[in-house]
Amino acid sequence: MLPSAQIQDKSMADQSIDITPDPVIEHYRRDIDLTLIIENLKLTVEERFVRLMKLQEFAEELRRAKRQQESERD
Amino acid sequence: MTDFAGLLRALGEAGVEFILVGGAAATAHGSARLTLDLDVVYSRQPENLHRLVRALAPRSPYLRGAPPGLPFKWDFLTLRRGLNFTLVTSLGAIDLLGEIVGGGSYENLVDDTIVLDLFGIKCRCLSLKRLIEVKLAAGRPRDLEVIAELESILAEQERGNSGC
Repeated sequence: MLPSAQIQDKSMADQSIDITPDPVIEHYRRDIDLTLIIENLKLTVEERFVRLMKLQEFAEELRRAKRQQESERD
Repeated sequence: MTDFAGLLRALGEAGVEFILVGGAAATAHGSARLTLDLDVVYSRQPENLHRLVRALAPRSPYLRGAPPGLPFKWDFLTLRRGLNFTLVTSLGAIDLLGEIVGGGSYENLVDDTIVLDLFGIKCRCLSLKRLIEVKLAAGRPRDLEVIAELESILAEQERGNSGC
């Protein structure tokens, strides 16, 4: 299912809000990895949350491994 | 770890009126950044406060980062007397926000939401443009990279790549 198929109701607000480009934000945008965004946009919204939870698990495992390495070193 | 699906189901099944904001909303829109808690703006209507109490009571909500043993009671009066609550529950971390900087209350934001069918429940999520606007208004230095990413997502969507 395409991500857009999950939307039940979309307000028109997205069309009405004007976001003026900010030079500071534009500077940060140069470093954004667009490939990650493009891959994410191919997923459904639910798949994005499942990925987020897996990422959290991975981050927790990294922290655990680091704690273990530190305790073995001491 | 935060069980986003479990928290959303708990809120949705209890009929809580809420809007996904913050990092979770950014995830919904396609952000690749890691967020550790669920941020929601909730309606302050009395009936909704009762629903919120019912939804989270079985999940042992407690003030996140507070020492154990404080006389924190999860009930209607606590919710009515407070506004923003940063909580830890058995399903993970959740921020319940009565108002947000640059966005205001549930009623102020609800017209700028999309409705997502997520983990079997329908939930409102702040629109991408409003999310950017709110983060710009908050003016926090740590949000600069987030805003840059959200604006890149918006640009991709306008180029025709799928969004939500």
